[in-house]
Amino acid sequence: MAKNKSKAPKNSSQHPMEDFLRMDRMPHIWCPGCGLGTNLTAFTEAIKKAGIDFDKVAVVSGIGCTARVAGYVKVDSYHTTHGRAIPFATGIKLANRDLTTVVISGDGDLFAIGGNHLIHAARRNIDLTVICVNNFIYGMTGGQTAPTTPLKAYSSTAPFKNYEPPFNLVSLVTSSGATYVARWTSLHIRRMTDSIVEAVNNKGFSFIEIVSPCPTVFARKNKKGSGLDLLDHFGKRSVIDHSANPNDIPMDLENPIVCGVFVNKPKPSFWENVQTGIHGEVKKHRDYEKSLSQE
Amino acid sequence: MASHAKPAGSGTKRIKGKIIILEDRCKGCDFCVEHCPRDVLGISTQFNEKGYHPPEVINEENCTFCGLCERICPDFAIYITTEEEVEEVKPEVKKVYANRNKNLPIVKSTMKGEFFMQGDIACAEGAIAAGCRFFGGYPITPASEIAERMAYRLPMLDGVFIQFEDEIASMASIIGASFAGMKSFTATSGPGISLMTENIGLGMMMEAPCVVVNVQRGSPSTGLPTSWGQSDMMQAKWGSHGDYGSISLCPKSPQEIFDLTIRAFNLAEKYRLPVFIMTDAIVGHMTEKVVIPPVEEIEIFDRKYTNKSTDKYLPYEIGKSMIPDFAKAGDGYRYHTTGLTHDERGYPDMTEQCQKSVVTRLVEKITKNIDDIMMIEEIDIEGADVIVVCYGITARTVIPAIEKAKKKGIKVGYMRLITVWPFPEQRIKELSRKCAGFVVPELNLGQIALEVERCAFPDARTKGVTHAGGGIHDFNDIVKAIEEVAHGKK
Ligand SMILES: Cc1ncc(C[n+]2csc(CCOP(=O)(O)OP(=O)(O)O)c2C)c(N)n1
Ligand code: SF4
Ligand code: SF4
Ligand code: SF4
Ligand SMILES: [Mg+2]
Repeated sequence: MAKNKSKAPKNSSQHPMEDFLRMDRMPHIWCPGCGLGTNLTAFTEAIKKAGIDFDKVAVVSGIGCTARVAGYVKVDSYHTTHGRAIPFATGIKLANRDLTTVVISGDGDLFAIGGNHLIHAARRNIDLTVICVNNFIYGMTGGQTAPTTPLKAYSSTAPFKNYEPPFNLVSLVTSSGATYVARWTSLHIRRMTDSIVEAVNNKGFSFIEIVSPCPTVFARKNKKGSGLDLLDHFGKRSVIDHSANPNDIPMDLENPIVCGVFVNKPKPSFWENVQTGIHGEVKKHRDYEKSLSQE
Repeated sequence: MASHAKPAGSGTKRIKGKIIILEDRCKGCDFCVEHCPRDVLGISTQFNEKGYHPPEVINEENCTFCGLCERICPDFAIYITTEEEVEEVKPEVKKVYANRNKNLPIVKSTMKGEFFMQGDIACAEGAIAAGCRFFGGYPITPASEIAERMAYRLPMLDGVFIQFEDEIASMASIIGASFAGMKSFTATSGPGISLMTENIGLGMMMEAPCVVVNVQRGSPSTGLPTSWGQSDMMQAKWGSHGDYGSISLCPKSPQEIFDLTIRAFNLAEKYRLPVFIMTDAIVGHMTEKVVIPPVEEIEIFDRKYTNKSTDKYLPYEIGKSMIPDFAKAGDGYRYHTTGLTHDERGYPDMTEQCQKSVVTRLVEKITKNIDDIMMIEEIDIEGADVIVVCYGITARTVIPAIEKAKKKGIKVGYMRLITVWPFPEQRIKELSRKCAGFVVPELNLGQIALEVERCAFPDARTKGVTHAGGGIHDFNDIVKAIEEVAHGKK
């Protein structure tokens, strides 16, 4: 790290995000008052803060409003199929271990259709950072029930309220073996940024849930007002408790939203284990390869 | 942020700066107004061009240039600049592009010689010889031996083997690995292919070079797990939703699995798509002589990387070849790609024109290069009255039938489709004008026979010899079909 004295431009005509976003695609498709733009700023701030070269970052997303992040962030970015961002990213990461590989996708994408990939990637401790934007609903398709939709909330497929209990994302991911687990809301811009820095630095499976306002479908269906109202609501309801047990902090419509970093216990990643284990074993038998040949 | 100014109030001199509002980007959410800790901002009564009320600065002297408004704005519509000389901790970023604009380096295999080898193993060895160092898969009979062989071989070559939770993940992973610059493949059978089809479409749309092996078993559904069939031939063409060109290779022996797997990788690299090896449980589980030549004698084709600078590169710009130049993740191009219909920048473009140009090119990059891709083996075609069109294992069961028919005085030609897709439409058309008809034996209830019929009509007739799989044709049924066609019986 080098300390540079730099004079900030007097009248910068450029928004500071301009180098990190595909400005030729602005304005983005997100609704007024949607938290996704704020979350994206936190992500790029975190990459800057972590001192990672943007050329060496790959962002992979599934399908949904959140997944459109991949189309706006100016790094190598892959907008894949619904639910499959994690295995796609696993392919990138294992092929080129030098890349910081980040999955940014929605709650439905990662926990419904992609749930199986998520728990297995956590179990294997694949060196990925997964940022899940939890807006409690399927935003892109118009507000259907998600595996995160709170009990008794309305959705377009729950016109008489939802009676399925939602997943507690941080608990599920922790019990699957993730080595870094945090939860924040879109209002916690600085803490969320710091958390993303820690997550990308963790050489293993990191997971961050960002509770984020979806005014257009979640708030409208549930009479929660504007994006600002939802944000205020999150602000009032959230408490920070790093020592909370992830199993004890489910999400619902009334109780406090417990935020914090709940797990930060680095363990050898999938690749480190393969490297020292399998590849280590093989290297003891350097002649394996040759012994296979027949003249 | 433009600069990391220290908040005022620490006793030092006040920071001078500016709050800049990009009014036309604002969507009027009021996040900045509400959350400014010092009530600097208010809501303007003016409308911007989108019809929203942007914020306005009402208490400039209170601003501490904390940057919160900039960070919370979801629309990148407000930011601050300061005139203060600030000490900025700039982490040193080292740019290393060790293997820029080429596939990632690999450890070469030294395996060579003559072997008594199973088809599935020969497939794995073909992939290794082609330079593939990434396998993502899920076990399934009769393809598991390919995964098992890769699990054994890849660690010797510093490659990546990963057994996934399912075939959906396997297919997604090989596309990812391919974009990272590594040749990759997966191997499965019917049920697994069915799970892969959505991501096969993604590979087609993103134009990811990779190889998918289908060791066909009796189908549909779980069908005959330990037995064979050729019933996924149409799936290899039409499996994923939408139109795209398919390349499908059909080996008839372990040696040919080895050779065609190398070719499949070469074609995948050249034409940028998932290429299918359509083998079956007989060839996959058969053990025969396989010759693996020394690595330097094997012809390898790598995808064409861009030679453009990072600011000029467009991931889907098309030159003469119809195939876009490649850039891998981490080379500094910072490009975007998506399964959505996209323009040459890789950005979503939902117009009818873009849809037409993308889909047409995905089909035509294969059909218009058919002369380069197509492989057919023909014996005694000239002057033949009846031509037996066959592929894969069936190409071996037809031999005694052809011999018997010849003994009966019928002029029979043998045409083996080594590439079933792209289909040799012109060749069949041409031959249809010279012969009485075609006989198409296959281990399904008539898939490729329909293609032959489509091309042969109306000049020659086509007779399929069907078999549902799990056994092989009775060669007398094939002889009978040849006789019927030769003698013009319906
Ligand atoms: C295989 C498949 N099934 C369904 C869809 C339709 N679909 C697109 S996005 C989406 C839900 C997205 O919800 P979430 O992941 O929570 O993202 P959000 O839009 O809320 O950010 C669905 C069901 C699809 N694209 N692909
Ligand atoms: S639908 Fe909801 S999540 Fe999607 S852009 Fe609009 S506000 Fe955001
Ligand atoms: S920089 Fe801080 S104090 Fe100034 S307007 Fe923005 S939020 Fe308010
Ligand atoms: S936060 Fe951004 S979009 Fe929202 S009112 Fe302020 S400037 Fe406008
Ligand atoms: Mg959602």
